[in-house]
Amino acid sequence: MITTKQITKTVTTSEGQLQILQPISFEVKDGESIAIVGASGSGKSTLLSLLAGLDQVTDGEIYLDNEPLHTMDEEARAQLRGAKVGFIFQSFMLVQSLTALENIMLPAEIAGMKDAKKRAQAILDDVGLAHRAHHYPNQLSGGEQQRVAIARAFIGEPKILFADEPTGNLDEANSHKIEDLLFALNKNVGTTLVLVTHDNELAKKCDRQLVMQGGALSEPAAETETLEREAG
Amino acid sequence: MSTVFSLAWRLFRHEARRGELTIILLAIVLSVGAVLSLSLFSERLQGALQERSASFLAADSQFRSRNPVDESWITESQNYGLQSAQRVSTRSMAFGEEQMSLVDLRAVDANYPLKGEITIADAPFGNESVTQSLPEPGEAWLDSRLFQTLNVEVGDPVYIGDATLTISGVLSEIPDAGFSIFNTDPIVLMRTEDLAATNVTGPGSRVSYVTYFTGDESDLAAYYDWLRPKMDDEIHRWRSVSDDESPVGRSVASAERYFLLASLLAIILAAVSIAVAAQRYSQRHFDPVAIMKTLGASGSMIRKVYVLQILFIAVLGIVLGIIMGLVIQQVVVWALADQVDVTLSVWHWRPVIIAVFTGAICALLFSLYPLLRLFSVPPLRVLRRDIDSNMSSRTLQFGAAGSAIFLLMWAYSQDLKISAILFASGIALVAGLLVMTYGLILLGRKLGSGSMGAWQLAWARIRRRAMDNSVQLISFSVTIMLLLVVLVMRNDMVAQWRAQLPEGTPNYFLINITQAQKDALSSHFEDNDVEVDEFYPVVRGRFVAVNEERVNTEVTKEDEDAPREGRDGLGREANLTWSNSLQNENRVVAGQWHGDTDIETPEGVYPVSVESEVAGRLDIQLGDILTFNIGSEVVNTQVTSLREVNWQTMQPNFFFVIDPAAMEAFMPTYITSFYLDTERKSELTMLLQPFSSVTLFDVDARINQLRDIVDQVSLAVEFILILVLAAGSLVLIAQVQASMDERQEELAILRTLGAKGGLIRMSVVLEFLIIGVVAGFMAALANELSLFMLQTQVFQMEASLHFEYWVIAPAAGAAVVGLLGAIGCWRLLSLNTTALLRKMV
Repeated sequence: MITTKQITKTVTTSEGQLQILQPISFEVKDGESIAIVGASGSGKSTLLSLLAGLDQVTDGEIYLDNEPLHTMDEEARAQLRGAKVGFIFQSFMLVQSLTALENIMLPAEIAGMKDAKKRAQAILDDVGLAHRAHHYPNQLSGGEQQRVAIARAFIGEPKILFADEPTGNLDEANSHKIEDLLFALNKNVGTTLVLVTHDNELAKKCDRQLVMQGGALSEPAAETETLEREAG
Repeated sequence: MSTVFSLAWRLFRHEARRGELTIILLAIVLSVGAVLSLSLFSERLQGALQERSASFLAADSQFRSRNPVDESWITESQNYGLQSAQRVSTRSMAFGEEQMSLVDLRAVDANYPLKGEITIADAPFGNESVTQSLPEPGEAWLDSRLFQTLNVEVGDPVYIGDATLTISGVLSEIPDAGFSIFNTDPIVLMRTEDLAATNVTGPGSRVSYVTYFTGDESDLAAYYDWLRPKMDDEIHRWRSVSDDESPVGRSVASAERYFLLASLLAIILAAVSIAVAAQRYSQRHFDPVAIMKTLGASGSMIRKVYVLQILFIAVLGIVLGIIMGLVIQQVVVWALADQVDVTLSVWHWRPVIIAVFTGAICALLFSLYPLLRLFSVPPLRVLRRDIDSNMSSRTLQFGAAGSAIFLLMWAYSQDLKISAILFASGIALVAGLLVMTYGLILLGRKLGSGSMGAWQLAWARIRRRAMDNSVQLISFSVTIMLLLVVLVMRNDMVAQWRAQLPEGTPNYFLINITQAQKDALSSHFEDNDVEVDEFYPVVRGRFVAVNEERVNTEVTKEDEDAPREGRDGLGREANLTWSNSLQNENRVVAGQWHGDTDIETPEGVYPVSVESEVAGRLDIQLGDILTFNIGSEVVNTQVTSLREVNWQTMQPNFFFVIDPAAMEAFMPTYITSFYLDTERKSELTMLLQPFSSVTLFDVDARINQLRDIVDQVSLAVEFILILVLAAGSLVLIAQVQASMDERQEELAILRTLGAKGGLIRMSVVLEFLIIGVVAGFMAALANELSLFMLQTQVFQMEASLHFEYWVIAPAAGAAVVGLLGAIGCWRLLSLNTTALLRKMV
């Protein structure tokens, strides 16, 4: 599903060029869930932005569902994201001037789906917020907003879901609810999940963990095997 | 497209409902409303005032000729949809049974007057009333004075040339009687049908043929374009309301320019507010755009959604603005109804088109740059909130905004000069402000150091924002400057108008005062509490030669349209005066005034100052020797100066003012003037009773009429000022509100960290106070520059400095901006910390 070959990211600062990602290569299989963990500033969000096509690699190759992201311009990447990718963010990233229902409809409408509203209503029901359909984001609690964001991410039944600290802004009780919902929907839809988190408990729920450190990636084999065994 | 449309519409609907669009919508509504009400009102007011001015011409335009006018020219005017009337006038003798008098004979056709009214009296010097009729053929109406001079009564015959007419009325006033102390013979009004029978307009007589025209301004202009190539400048003249050099004409002309200026400034105010609001709108939509891009929206889809949104906002703003403009305009017209005759029956489309055009151009062009920035927001912003738009070009921002403002001003005013002046001042202001901003930052580093109190917080914010949000500081300054320009121009202009006809302007003139009567008259008037002005000595003299070349035909101010041949002169006797001091409203345009310096002239030749227009007409140059016959004496003079004279002032004016030394041997009569309150008019008979040979000219009614018009124009300008001030104040509110958004995040953080409300409030108020002072000071500087250029280049006024505004502007800027900042801050701080933080999300 995702293949990266020696991808790097370099940014220009006032002190010159700064490489924030060392060459990284890995693969994520169809339906697999992986967690990218690491300390703040380790480069995990940068890696996520490259995998999701939100940013361009400086060097290397990156394939998303066999599509060469590294050669695409912003328009093509947007088209790919609309067709195959879902997102969940730590700060929910809902459009404040649209209701919960309309936020969920948004990706479906962008993709040109005719039944956007029907789909949105159904999935809003799935996340238990049918009664909040016409509320604006600032009228919802943090947990409710994230549930709306999850519903929005799944409306287009994406092949890949990227989640950036999905429970980072929530209390423990809400975090558990969101985690359960996320993995339940992920399982039902059969989506590939790439999760960025610093929460080890959440990471452990994924098939595999990738650890970022100083812009480089390492895969703790033992832990992965343990997780694989547990999953099997 | 339907998805894009429904998405745009949905966003627009929700944002409008949630008040997200209030500021940009308000800015557009204000701009359209202000421009519409200003231009609609000024158009109607101009129409009303022009109508009043037209009454002084008895038409919208006059075509004056020394020869009979070609009938085909008048017929052609009908093809242009013009109405016309004709007058033939000449000076002639009128005879009663026993007496005779030189009269100003005016023969008019049935259409006269096209504008203005004829006033008649029930008896000589009796009660006056307006009439719609004219003397019938075979009849004549005589000036009150003639009844005494000719010893006639209504019903008696009057003999003019070979014709006998019946006196059927007492003429009190006609619209285009003009005003001149000298050579004003009493008017006889008769019909053109009777003119041929008089035989007074035969060869050699000095006749003036006047054709009056009324019609639409464009039709008149088109007809004039047709007529102009056929005109002979030697014998033809075209006069229209706009050529009116009277106090009324000048007041109306400067009022028109003021309305134009006020409307232009309203457009700039609107543009500034829309630019501020559009920037805020753009910044508030960075997140939605990043989200939509992340969710797969293409660039083209984003562009369409937001351009559609702007269109929705523009359409709604324009519609609401038109409603607001119409309401304001109706309220103003209603409030002014008693003072100004502003007709509501005529609907003017031009202001509506201008307002819609302004709203559309402002909404689209001023949101262009913010929209371009919005479109370039990268999707990565969903992960990194610190990432802004990819696009930043101050050159593009100011270039686009500047070009748009200039084009709007130019298109609206069709006056490159006034647009360029305002625009150049604006550029100077912006440049000055940028320099000031740098200075402020440097200053702030020192002033804002030390422990973190309100003062330090305020300076810290200014230091950070003064660079980033220089647009905000500039917009405050521009707004204050524009308000100052409108305010100061109004004050200066109204003061100048009032100065033309100050309280106590003489409203009565006395002529034919002998040397013996002079002192007695003066003391008699003083005893009755009436102050008499300066006595001007006058002798009648005949202008006979220029550089010993004899002049032969007669030309005076009054009969300048009469035909002539050879070298022109003033064969008829003219009034000569002598003085060492230059009269009020006289300006030396060439040479030196003989009263100021000792000018050497040949032996027995005395300096003379000649009115420049008559000098031009008679081909008189500086240094020419002019010869006058006064009685049996010959007086030689040399032209040492040429004067421009305002003939419309209510004072005696002279073609020739001679050095007093030349006139010592002559016995003059005197002219003087005095002011008598209208309520004391009944005392005139008593005042003049001892001086039966002195002639009185009553211009009280005319002066009151002029002053009335000037007062009306002043009042109208007052309303325009209030409108612009209101618009400007609302723009300031919008600006403060917009800038409050930018402070919200910091306030939330400070609040969360436990900073006391008082500290935060004080720091914000101090910040706005400082910005207000700087903006006010910059505005005062730019105001001086703009006013200097406007007054000298556009309004033909004397430039003056306005030091008081160097204090008032910063103080008012600090007070208003500080107060608005305090209110905005109070509203934000009235929210609890959670709500404040949520507003940030």
